[in-house]
Amino acid sequence: MAATPQTLDELSRSAPRRARWISAIVDFVRHRPLGAVGAALILLMVVMAATAGLIAPYNPVANDYTAMLAGPSSEHWLGTDAHGRDVLTRILYGSRTALMVGLGASLLGATFGSLIGVASAYFGGRVDLIVQRIMDVFFAFPVIILALAVVAVLGTGAGNVILAIAAPMIPRCARVVRSSALAVREMPYIDAARASGYGHNRIILRHMLPNVMAPILIMATAFLGEAILLEASLSFLGLGVQEPTAAWGLMLRGAAVEFAETAPWMAIFPGLAISMAVFGFNLFGDSLRDALDPRLRTQ
Amino acid sequence: MAFYIFKRLLAMIPTLLGVAVLIFVLLRVVPGDVVEARYLTQGSQFQSQDLMDQERAKLGLDQPLWKQFTTWMSGLARLDFGLSMWTGAPITEEIKLRFALSLQLAIMASLLAQLLAIPLGILAAVKQDTWVDYAVRVFSIAGLATPSFWLGIMMILFMLIVFKWVPPMVFTPLWVNPWENLALLIWPALAVGYRYSAVGTRMMRSAMLEVLREDYIRTARAKGLWLKLILSRHALKNAILPVLTVMSLEFAFLLGGLVVTEQVFNLNGLGMLFVEAISHRDYTLVQALVMLVATFFLLINFFVDIAYAWIDPRIRYR
Repeated sequence: MAATPQTLDELSRSAPRRARWISAIVDFVRHRPLGAVGAALILLMVVMAATAGLIAPYNPVANDYTAMLAGPSSEHWLGTDAHGRDVLTRILYGSRTALMVGLGASLLGATFGSLIGVASAYFGGRVDLIVQRIMDVFFAFPVIILALAVVAVLGTGAGNVILAIAAPMIPRCARVVRSSALAVREMPYIDAARASGYGHNRIILRHMLPNVMAPILIMATAFLGEAILLEASLSFLGLGVQEPTAAWGLMLRGAAVEFAETAPWMAIFPGLAISMAVFGFNLFGDSLRDALDPRLRTQ
Repeated sequence: MAFYIFKRLLAMIPTLLGVAVLIFVLLRVVPGDVVEARYLTQGSQFQSQDLMDQERAKLGLDQPLWKQFTTWMSGLARLDFGLSMWTGAPITEEIKLRFALSLQLAIMASLLAQLLAIPLGILAAVKQDTWVDYAVRVFSIAGLATPSFWLGIMMILFMLIVFKWVPPMVFTPLWVNPWENLALLIWPALAVGYRYSAVGTRMMRSAMLEVLREDYIRTARAKGLWLKLILSRHALKNAILPVLTVMSLEFAFLLGGLVVTEQVFNLNGLGMLFVEAISHRDYTLVQALVMLVATFFLLINFFVDIAYAWIDPRIRYR
């Protein structure tokens, strides 16, 4: 008999790489079934966005006036809209808009928010006080109103919508990250870094930021779902992504409500797409929070 | 305590001033103003520059920015919001009617949300990690994921197809015809309330889980008290504070956050007014609405803190 592995380390090394990779997934599915459902929904959305150009049966922006408001059929699985555009195709392409805006806004919001939060905690004193007062001002605005105001300044369109959605997220992220960073600041290794004569930038970026990564990740995933929802709301109001770009919120606007009685597929499917996407990100975000934050872990 | 209240009220002033500066500056950065919004949309690009300048002078838009700001501020200090730049009517008049609608809707939505959230949250906590818990969690996460405006569309559609009935799309004040009023407002209140209940349910569940692990709960169980009594008398009282906090903070935002749902149900509330005011570049009206919502938010924040000390004798402010 061959020598049996002595340590845990050897044990894990002796197992084939692929098996470990698979067993990690199996573990995740078994212990966090809801998180796994979320991850599956996210994966589905990413695949939709990546392959929209290949699998979509029609052109998302081509009008077809011979097939306006057509119901679901073998040609148009989910029917067509008031311009004769295929609803399924537009939902597939819409996932690109949703992902782009969601990722863009949450990346932007989390980056700036966490930098402000960590810096505010690190410097403390008067800087911290002033930053907190400024954050209070932003908190007094409902999210959608701040987003609407930013859109009014910058104008509509996907790029500006990303900025408009990121704006209200920055103070929210900053507040959460700051409270974690306050604890990190008191750690001996920060004192050590300061004693070694490192500059503020280096301590903030290299020593503090990596240690508050867990709350940042939690906030960023929570933002993703919220950003998709907010983009849909803005587009629904006509103040977000503009026609003829395919966006889920935009598909619910105008004709979808007007013709809801005769052509309900126009209103049902894009809304389902929004709900499923946000649902997926929320489920995944919840399990991520449970996994990363031991204080919130359920028994 | 009196000193604490005074201190808190005083601390609101710089925040509100910040809000005022922020919205003032944001609005002035927006391309176009109310005069352009009115004349250029009427299709006549040949409006004489003179006429437009006259209009601007009438509205005080020709003044330097600092002067416009101080005029607005001195008005606010006297609780005078001024006139709407678009309609010329006093802003208090413009807001009054719509405020009643939005307030009623916000109260209804928030009541429905609590009716859903508190029992569901308790249920999920007591039955932790069973299928009941999972079902409640999925239900509440779905509530967070569903856009309330789409839920509103689906409700109308459902009633139309199943009952061949559509809620009346004309608003009647509660005191004129309570039945008609509720028949319309219950739907948007449900659509919005479901979403807000999700926040409360999750909070209720986690707060309850935390409390159920406390020693005094174990003592209560050990001496053989009914589970029902333990839950309602011992656990709920201790777990409900954070839930009420979250829900009351959401309440202030409900007032401003109904923006999209009001469109679906064609409700002429504050949200609709806000969107219109922004597209008309009606500076004074947008400013007034933002200040209103911000003040509401800060006041509710303040009352929640005071209520904390009142409900929970362990908390004392200095």
